Amino acid sequence: MRTGAAAGHVGYFHEAILYDSDDHLLAVVLPFLLGGVEAGEPTVVGLGGRGAEVVRRALPTGAEVTFLSGADVYSRPTAAIRAYREMLTGHVAAGATQIRIVGELPPVVFGATWDWWARYESAINHAYDDFPLWSMCAYDRRVTPPHVLTDVTRTHPRIARPDGSHEPTGVYTDPASYLAECRPAPLDPLQHTAPVVELVDPTPARAREAVRAADAGLLPPDGVDDLVMAVSEVVCNALRHGTPPVRMRLWCASDRIVVAVHDRGPGPKDPYAGLLPAGDGTEGGLGLWISHQSCDHVTHHRDADGFTIRLTAGNAHVPV
Amino acid sequence: MTGGNATGRAHGHACLVYDDPAALHARTVEQVGLGLAAGEQVWLVGPEDPDAVARRLAAVPGFADARRHGAVRLFRVDEAYRRDEVVDPGSQVRAYVRATTEALAAGHTGLRVLAEATDLVRTPAQRDAFARYEHRVDHWIRHHPMTAVCAYDRRVLGDAAIAELACLHPETNADVLFRLHAGDDDAAVALAGELDPTDECLFAAALERAEPSPVAGRLVFDATDLRFVDHRALLLLREYAHRHGAVAVLRTHRPAPARLVELLGLTDLRVEVVR
Repeated sequence: MRTGAAAGHVGYFHEAILYDSDDHLLAVVLPFLLGGVEAGEPTVVGLGGRGAEVVRRALPTGAEVTFLSGADVYSRPTAAIRAYREMLTGHVAAGATQIRIVGELPPVVFGATWDWWARYESAINHAYDDFPLWSMCAYDRRVTPPHVLTDVTRTHPRIARPDGSHEPTGVYTDPASYLAECRPAPLDPLQHTAPVVELVDPTPARAREAVRAADAGLLPPDGVDDLVMAVSEVVCNALRHGTPPVRMRLWCASDRIVVAVHDRGPGPKDPYAGLLPAGDGTEGGLGLWISHQSCDHVTHHRDADGFTIRLTAGNAHVPV
Repeated sequence: MTGGNATGRAHGHACLVYDDPAALHARTVEQVGLGLAAGEQVWLVGPEDPDAVARRLAAVPGFADARRHGAVRLFRVDEAYRRDEVVDPGSQVRAYVRATTEALAAGHTGLRVLAEATDLVRTPAQRDAFARYEHRVDHWIRHHPMTAVCAYDRRVLGDAAIAELACLHPETNADVLFRLHAGDDDAAVALAGELDPTDECLFAAALERAEPSPVAGRLVFDATDLRFVDHRALLLLREYAHRHGAVAVLRTHRPAPARLVELLGLTDLRVEVVR
């Protein structure tokens, strides 16, 4: 039996908290967590440093609440989905009838990398719907930009408020529709400069070699191997499933390598491409999913000219 | 052929692809010179009449003497290889085992073979059998005093057919991304180069033809010279090992395959990262 606001709900009960003070946050989160503890449900906190401390101090001593390290969980969206799905699978296997999680993305992701986290917030409505999960995603209105708040209300079916209400956001958009929209990510400033590599219809081997040559020790060895893997996969996908010509461009800065691969096709049809492994591995779904976990940022961009996937290894949090 | 497409620890089994007979001749001259200098017996095997070959090599220092004393032997390809439509891998390897042994017994330091084998691999069935033979003889060569250069004429066979054979040599000038050859110690085979979707079918065929066998439930692939491997190739290795009742073990210098295995949750594929 599920308890609380999600009682009777099947699948994922996904809410946002849009708070503007610690009191506001605690007024929503404390009853949520304590209700979970009281019902014997796995109860998890994935808040960042300060938020976690505020909640930890407010909880009664010995409350059976698990604290995750927010920074680790929310480094890459696809990895977060994978980690959470593993955790949820474990709880359900152990007999849990509901799992409660409150999480908060670190504010750094509201900048250059917000697009893939917006995709995350939308996709999890589908990705976690296999589980009796009730989660709340906390956003501090004081530091969250308006365009991010717009995406938050479109990707969360409900808002949890301090008065105990759980009201529909009213503008929630089904993930398949939301993810199919064209959502241009801001250009990396490097993209305004001439690329150091530009290849047309490269073989995957040629593309890999170009990344290794451009790296020249810039990234840590594991980082360059992961980028080589990701570039290889997206070039393979473009050659196999895209529309020629396939154009690969590469830029280097002291703290990152950026690779954009463009073809004239419409890009992957699967709205969850990259965020979830494609079931049967067709259409390069597994390669894209691996790429999303091998890079520090991946953007999808569609326009009249075709489809561009951009991969960043290194510091993706650049001013835009 | 000491260029980029050779394994760091290559033994003496090379695949020479040529368009110009002059390249084959140059390699033949080189092999004769190396073999005589090292005290080896040299076998030159090809489609041509031995006397015609001998006339071309007459100017090579020491060649005439060496041929007279049996240090250089010339064969037509159908004398050195049993050729009933397709080669029989087992008996062909046994023939070279015997030849190596006899060369040593006659006082040579080993056997050096240059074989122009184009005529033996013209059909898919011939190539399948010959590829199996190439890998079996590769194991013999890796661990015994025999070296071989297998030469194929690109004008006759084309790149795709040659790739099927070239990828089973530790060293080649052919345009192949990966090489699969005999391993050392507990490694059933060694992999070098790069494995990606463009050579997926070629790799699957090479693996089936090499037929590596597990030892004590483990099928060890020495991948320390493998620069890149994608998830498709890992799945293929796992599937092959599983079919042979074994766990696949990939021995590598690079942690990237281990991360891939972890991502994909491939519990029955082990990656051993060695320094």
